[in-house]
Amino acid sequence: MNISILYGTETGNAEMLAEDIQSELEGDHDVSCQNLSDVDPMSLVPEHLYLLVCSTYGDGELPASAQPFAEAMEAAKPDLSAIHFAIFGMGDSEYDETFNHGPKRLAELMLAHGATQIGERVAHDASGPEMAEDLAFPWAEEIISQAEERLGAAA
Amino acid sequence: MSGKIAIVGAGPSGCYLAQSLLKAAPDLEVDLIDALPVPYGLVRYGVAADHQGTKAVTRQFARVFERQGARFFGCLRLGDDVALEDLRAAYDAVVLATGMPVDRPLGIPGDDLAGVFGAGRLTRALYDHPDAETLPELGAHPLIVGNGNVAIDLLRLLAKDPDELAGSDLGAGPTDWLAGAGIESLTITGRSPAAAAKFDPVMIKELAKLGGVSIDVVGTGASDEPDAVKTLDALASIAGHGSGARNVTFRFGLTPAEVIGSQGQVRAVRFTSDAGDETIPCTSVLTAIGFDADPDLPRDALLESATDAGAGALAPGLYATGWFRRGPRGTIPENRADAQALATHILDDLTADPAKPGRAIFEGRTGLVDYDGWCRIDAAETEALPEGRCRAKITTREEMTRLASKGVTTG
Repeated sequence: MNISILYGTETGNAEMLAEDIQSELEGDHDVSCQNLSDVDPMSLVPEHLYLLVCSTYGDGELPASAQPFAEAMEAAKPDLSAIHFAIFGMGDSEYDETFNHGPKRLAELMLAHGATQIGERVAHDASGPEMAEDLAFPWAEEIISQAEERLGAAA
Repeated sequence: MSGKIAIVGAGPSGCYLAQSLLKAAPDLEVDLIDALPVPYGLVRYGVAADHQGTKAVTRQFARVFERQGARFFGCLRLGDDVALEDLRAAYDAVVLATGMPVDRPLGIPGDDLAGVFGAGRLTRALYDHPDAETLPELGAHPLIVGNGNVAIDLLRLLAKDPDELAGSDLGAGPTDWLAGAGIESLTITGRSPAAAAKFDPVMIKELAKLGGVSIDVVGTGASDEPDAVKTLDALASIAGHGSGARNVTFRFGLTPAEVIGSQGQVRAVRFTSDAGDETIPCTSVLTAIGFDADPDLPRDALLESATDAGAGALAPGLYATGWFRRGPRGTIPENRADAQALATHILDDLTADPAKPGRAIFEGRTGLVDYDGWCRIDAAETEALPEGRCRAKITTREEMTRLASKGVTTG
C-alpha cells in the first residue's frame, strides 16, 4: 500500500513519531514521511492512504508546522472526496481543557473538505505512562487493515 | 560534509541544534559540552517538576546521542575547564548555547534584603540542581513579582497540595520543604496591565485544577486585541476559583518601587501605579522578571560585535543560539526554530579544516562524564521510584560522577 505520513509538529515530538511509524511500516509498504508545512493540500492523491500525526500547541491550537497547510486548505478549498486519512494525536493531559484539540481541528478540516476518515482519532498523552509508539504502531496496523478492506487492491 | 562542531550547553537549544546539524549532515562530529555532569539543561532544571509532558522532548535529545552520533562532554565548564579560544582553535565551529542562568535583580531599594529571592535560585533548589542554594523560609505570605511563565510555574508549585504533585519528579527534600512551608497566601503582581501579561493563557487555565486554593483576580481591565482577549478570558476563567484555605491573588499594573524591610527582613513592597502608590505586605519577595547571562561570558560584547546577531553569527566560526542569543524569552519550540535556522547558517559557512583536533583535545582528561555515564545516572534515578514520583534526581555532583563512572574500568 502507498502510505503518506504527514506530520504537524511544534517541538519535534510528532516528527519523531512520524519517522518511527515510517520505519515500522516500510518493510511491508511504500511509505513516505513529510512535514505538513511542505505539503500542498491540492496535491493529495486518492491512491495514497494518509496517516496524519499531529500535536496540539498553545491554547488548543494547531502546531506551527500544520498551520500553513490549514491556511492553504481554507484558501484553496480542495475537493478531498476521494481522499482517505487517519489521524493520530499527541497531547498533554496536564492541559486537559484543550487536550488533543490540534489533531481534532486538523481532522475536522479534512472532513469539511470531503475526505473520509478511517478509524478513530487516537490520542497519546505525554503525561501518561505509555510511549507514543506503543500506541501508534498498533493503531497504524489497524488503520492499514481497515484501509485495505475499503480501498482494496487499488491502493 | 565533514567538520567538527562544539556546542557549549547541552540544554534544549544545544540539543536541537545538534539534531538539526546531524540531520542535514550526518558525518559531522558534533560535541555537546556542559558544565554539569548531566545533559538537558532547563528541561531538567527549569521546566516545572509537574510538567512531565513538556520534558518528553528529552526522548528526541537522547536519540541525538544514541542514533545521530553526537557526543556528550559533561563536567566541562567553559572558562574554568576549557577556554573559549582553545575551543575555537580546536573546532571548525563553536556555538554558545549556555542560556541565561542569572536572576535579573529588581534594581530598586531594598532588593538585597533577606527574603528577596530570584526565581532561578528557587527553581534550581526546587528541582535539585546540584549547585543550588538551600530552599529558604518564605513565610506565610510570599509575593511573586513578574507575569511570565516562570512566575506562574512558581506560583502553581507553591500553591499545590502534596497530593497534587503525584507523577512529578519533585525530590524528597523539596517535597518536605513545600509541605512544611506554611504558605497561607500568594500574591502575584505584574507591571503591565492584565491584557499585556506575558504568561501563556494555557498556564493560567491550568490553575483551575488546583484544589487547595481560592483565586482572586483584581483589576483586569478590557481589550479587543485577539491575544489580549485570550489572556483576559483565561484570567476570567480562574477568577473566583475554589474555596481552599490558600488565597492566590493576581494584581496588575503595579511597578515595584521599593522593598520595605525591618531588621533586615522583607515586610512589604511599595508599588507605583496609575492609581497612586500602594504598599502590599508580604513575608518574602520572589522575583521572576527575567534572566541575565553568566557574567563569566562577555555576552553583550559578543552580540555587539557580532557579524549578524539576528542569525546568531558572532564572529567567524563562533555562533550563538537559544536564550543566549535572543534573551530569556520563548519556550522550547521557539528555541527549536532558532536552532534549525542556525544549523542551516552554520552549514552554509562551514569549511572543515582536517588539521583541527576537535574532541581529541579532551583525551586523557579525567572527571568528564560522557553519554553512557549520563545513562547510568538516568538509570539510577529511575530504577527505584518513591511513591508518586517518576524520577528521583541525584542531587550532588559527587554522586552523579560516581554513578557515571560506576562499572567503568579505566586505563
